Amino acid sequence: MFIGQDITRVDALDKVLGTAAFAHDLRKDGMLFARVVRSSRPHAVIKRIDVSAARALDGVVKILSHEDIPGENLFGAIRKDQPFLAAGRVRCKGEAILVVVAATEEVAQRASDLVRIEYEDLENISDPFLSIQSPVLIHDGGNLLSHRKVIKGDAAKGFEASDLIVENTYSTTWIDHAYMETEAGLGYLDDRGRVVVASSTQNIHYKMKEISRLLAIAPEEIRVIQATTGGGFGGKLDVTVEGYLALAVWHTKRPVFMRYTREESLLVQTKRHPLYIVYKTGARKDGSLTAVEVNIVGDTGPYNSYGETVCLRAAVHATGPYEVPNVLVNSRVYYTNNPVAGAMRGFGVPQLALAHESQLDEIAEKIGMDPLDIRMKNALKRGSLTATSQVLNHSAGLLETLKAVEPFWRERRKEGPGSGFGLGCMYYGIGNTGISNPSSCYLTLTPEGRVEMHSGVCDIGQGSDTALLQILCDALGMEEMGIDLVRGDTDTSYDAGSTSASRQTYISGMAVCDAAQKLKKYLKEQGYYEGKSLKDIYRAAADSGIPIFDGHFDPPTTAPDPETSQGAPYATYGFATHMTEVDVDEVTGVCKAVRVHAAHDVGRAINVSNVRGQIYGGVAMGVGLALMEEFIPGKSESFDNYYLPTSMDMPEVEAIIVEDREPTGPFGAKGVGEPALIPQAAAIVNAIYDATGVRMRRLPCDIERLKLALEKNQEENKR
Amino acid sequence: MKTIDFTLNGKQTSVEVEDNETLLSTLRERLGVTSVKEGCGIGECGTCTVLVDNEPHYSCLTLASKANGRDIKTVEYLSSSGVLHPLQEAFIRSGAVQCGYCTPGMLLSAYSLLLKNADPDAQDIKEAISGNLCRCTGYIQIEEAIKNAAEICRCNSRD
Amino acid sequence: MLPKFAGVTAGTKDEALSWLSSLKNPKIIAGGTDLMVKMRAGKQYSHIIDVAGISELLGVTEADGRISIGSATTHARLSSDGFIVRNARSLALACGLVGSPQIRNMGTIGGNLANASPAADSIPPLLIHDAVLTLEARDARRKVPLEEVIVAPYVTSIDGKELITSIEIGPLRGYREGYRRVAKRATWAISRLGVAFAIREENDRFLDVKLAIGSCTPMPFRAKKVEDLLKGAPKNKATISEAIRMALEEIKLISGIRPSYAYKLPVLQGILAEVLRG
Repeated sequence: MFIGQDITRVDALDKVLGTAAFAHDLRKDGMLFARVVRSSRPHAVIKRIDVSAARALDGVVKILSHEDIPGENLFGAIRKDQPFLAAGRVRCKGEAILVVVAATEEVAQRASDLVRIEYEDLENISDPFLSIQSPVLIHDGGNLLSHRKVIKGDAAKGFEASDLIVENTYSTTWIDHAYMETEAGLGYLDDRGRVVVASSTQNIHYKMKEISRLLAIAPEEIRVIQATTGGGFGGKLDVTVEGYLALAVWHTKRPVFMRYTREESLLVQTKRHPLYIVYKTGARKDGSLTAVEVNIVGDTGPYNSYGETVCLRAAVHATGPYEVPNVLVNSRVYYTNNPVAGAMRGFGVPQLALAHESQLDEIAEKIGMDPLDIRMKNALKRGSLTATSQVLNHSAGLLETLKAVEPFWRERRKEGPGSGFGLGCMYYGIGNTGISNPSSCYLTLTPEGRVEMHSGVCDIGQGSDTALLQILCDALGMEEMGIDLVRGDTDTSYDAGSTSASRQTYISGMAVCDAAQKLKKYLKEQGYYEGKSLKDIYRAAADSGIPIFDGHFDPPTTAPDPETSQGAPYATYGFATHMTEVDVDEVTGVCKAVRVHAAHDVGRAINVSNVRGQIYGGVAMGVGLALMEEFIPGKSESFDNYYLPTSMDMPEVEAIIVEDREPTGPFGAKGVGEPALIPQAAAIVNAIYDATGVRMRRLPCDIERLKLALEKNQEENKR
Repeated sequence: MKTIDFTLNGKQTSVEVEDNETLLSTLRERLGVTSVKEGCGIGECGTCTVLVDNEPHYSCLTLASKANGRDIKTVEYLSSSGVLHPLQEAFIRSGAVQCGYCTPGMLLSAYSLLLKNADPDAQDIKEAISGNLCRCTGYIQIEEAIKNAAEICRCNSRD
Repeated sequence: MLPKFAGVTAGTKDEALSWLSSLKNPKIIAGGTDLMVKMRAGKQYSHIIDVAGISELLGVTEADGRISIGSATTHARLSSDGFIVRNARSLALACGLVGSPQIRNMGTIGGNLANASPAADSIPPLLIHDAVLTLEARDARRKVPLEEVIVAPYVTSIDGKELITSIEIGPLRGYREGYRRVAKRATWAISRLGVAFAIREENDRFLDVKLAIGSCTPMPFRAKKVEDLLKGAPKNKATISEAIRMALEEIKLISGIRPSYAYKLPVLQGILAEVLRG
């Protein structure tokens, strides 16, 4: 049995030896270097581009513009609205305009600096609330990107039936993924003249499709390889360097290398959406929620990226993991000329968690109910209806996570004047929202007598390679892990979909199980389970051809109703409760996260060590989101002032794994990647209230904001 | 250009460098030691950490010329005898490696700690890696690994 | 990519001074933690003179009751040097808080002073120890009190041909001494506020108080008026309140009212109260 064991990660050895080939480490003889020339204006028409000085530099090979694109200039994960290279208009600072290809990186950079661009500024739409009123349209369709609603029951009646109503506004700002490895890649032509791009990425088949559109060549003429990838968190789902590399290779017929500087990554890469949330909760004196009405405004920057997804996910998860009979959510995401916001761990749900968890605590306090009790009272469980009226038939372990944390909660004791405890709960739909998002894979046998798994899953550090191997071994009933993994290459794998939405263990895991079942049947017929070796089976089959066993899984979901979002948008959900203890220094405003108990219903922990690792990493990101991370356009240029938590900022964390088996998942597994983060910032904010009596409704709750709030609170208490 | 001579992972090394070259660049581009990473270029992430005379430095902020006459170690040193160092084994066992980009730098900061302190407590370990950012792991399994490795190293030195 | 320059490594102090004198647009590099970042951002120099290895600039010695610190001594060394810990505790603490372990291994006290950041952690402790810098040029040598060296944020009165060779401080023994700072995360962060203090008290009376505040005014300053008020004064709520009020007034006098003061002054109030109460 390999599932549930702490099987060593298959990629760990290379990483501790330092031999793992990250995109930054890729090299090819004779390779050229590419740098992108970027807009210095937030919104402008390009009047003139002068590349003469740049072109004259010794070592410059090509300077490419949108006119050098043989195919489509527009790309996008959902909507094709973002130019690879600006065609006469730029819509945000940092937007790509030209690609300079040169013999060295230094020459490419110097040439970039010599390009002269004349802009004619257009109105800089920097306020999402005013965006819809502006006569200037960022895109022809108008400045509202998406408006999604959740309508369940009758919110107005629900409020009438309530004994108390609490209404507050919450807001969050841009957050950077801040993976340790910035975007990078290497492109080249193989000996068949096909375009090959190896990059730091969270998906490969999607990138292949975009390159196909860009160059107007068939996908078979393209190969995309995932290099060892130094973190993703949603920032490497969109096309980053891949398009520029493909274009440069196409025109130069030479290998081309490209890497973003950290400053460049911070400037141009997608960010977490700033969300402004007006949240109204109605409840009865006994703590049961009667109605929730939420208005969400999101700033998506000038391009969709994953803005539509965030808009919908934020709406669908707005109530939090609670059964609320009457729900009205309006979620609107607007185009602006601010930084492009896109996919980032949680897709809007961490921001909503801040709101729904604070609301619940406030209600609890008003009616004199314990925060744990009110959560237990309203918790979604088997048989509950979600906000989209989906009945949770199975695997709904929120109560188990609350119970796991309960002993610590009941025993909590304030150690000192700044001591406080807070809870945060969450649920999160695993997989893409209400749309088909399948995964495919295939298995075969090798002459050496091994099973060969062909996986298109991009492991970005979360451990999917290892988890899928464990799943396959157990699905085949193998006693030893005699499996060769062929992975991360469009030439040798089927499309497994993106590593996002916490979906790979669940969806690709089930695809592996599907393939395994077919292989198992074959092996049974060939006598494997009676003692015949795989080597012999291979030899016997070699003449007639080694069969390939493909596997496929697409989680059963329904498309949400376009008006009310009612439906079953996910086949399964992750659930979690975080309990966080903080220590606030009221003199300085420094909040220290001291201890966290994080209980997660993951369905089934395929690899316990890796699940713990995700939970710890999620808590760290939550500490950053709550207390110190804040991307300020124009000011946050690198890590000297965009602060990530260090080892000294981390609390002690106890990760508690709850397994409410998901029947449609591989051996009961669901997902944990995003759930690990989602409730932490909310728990910290609730703990700060417990410690200080101050409710922070805007993130980050950094030392200055907290101190000022404490001062204000003291003033008000004096009066 | 000037020639610098230094010990790299125990071996005498000589290389020609530009005056304005960083040690990071020398290691990665001239000597092919790509285990040393670039993450930010301004000494704010730690992925470029190398040991200079057994002390952690940011190679992105170190001029190549400063390596002259010094002892420089990168993560390859830990397994230079052909077997994994207890730290590397512990990192693998404890789940301390996720994406792996911070790993070489972390291992070096940890190795430097164990050279100075054979029995570090939790706070010592936290401080030793406080100049190495990790975005994936939350540091906890890394700290567990270092504690475990320290114990093994103590056992090894007793034998 | 750094701008092109000619790099030289000085083996002795005289070599360094000679180069400083004769070269066109030279810049001293010690640890490089500030300078390398500046150069990466585009700052150009014709020559970079590396002084980090000059043995005359390294180490901590005592002479005539004063402590002499070599300008190329690293923060790491100063934070753990027994002599500094025993005789200038606030300096040891402050040096232990600069940057991260790697930055402390590389960065030097001389470099920190030459950079003259308003938030430099080493400066307030040096101020309360009456630090005097020795500035040497090829043909000249002068000793200047630290407060006269730093003239504006990031600006010193050090001549282009001069090198900081040593920093002399007076030891403080028998004082309750420390360094408090506030930053946006637990470590590896610019100080938003820094307070170096050394207090000698007996029988509910302040005998001697030394106090310097950093990251609050354009240059870190020694709160002499507050020190004078407290010297010999009874240690009680009223005196402490008055001292704090005076400190805040002096800050406002120096800088006016800055937006950051909405945060900094209340925090400083609290820190000073804790520090003076003990």
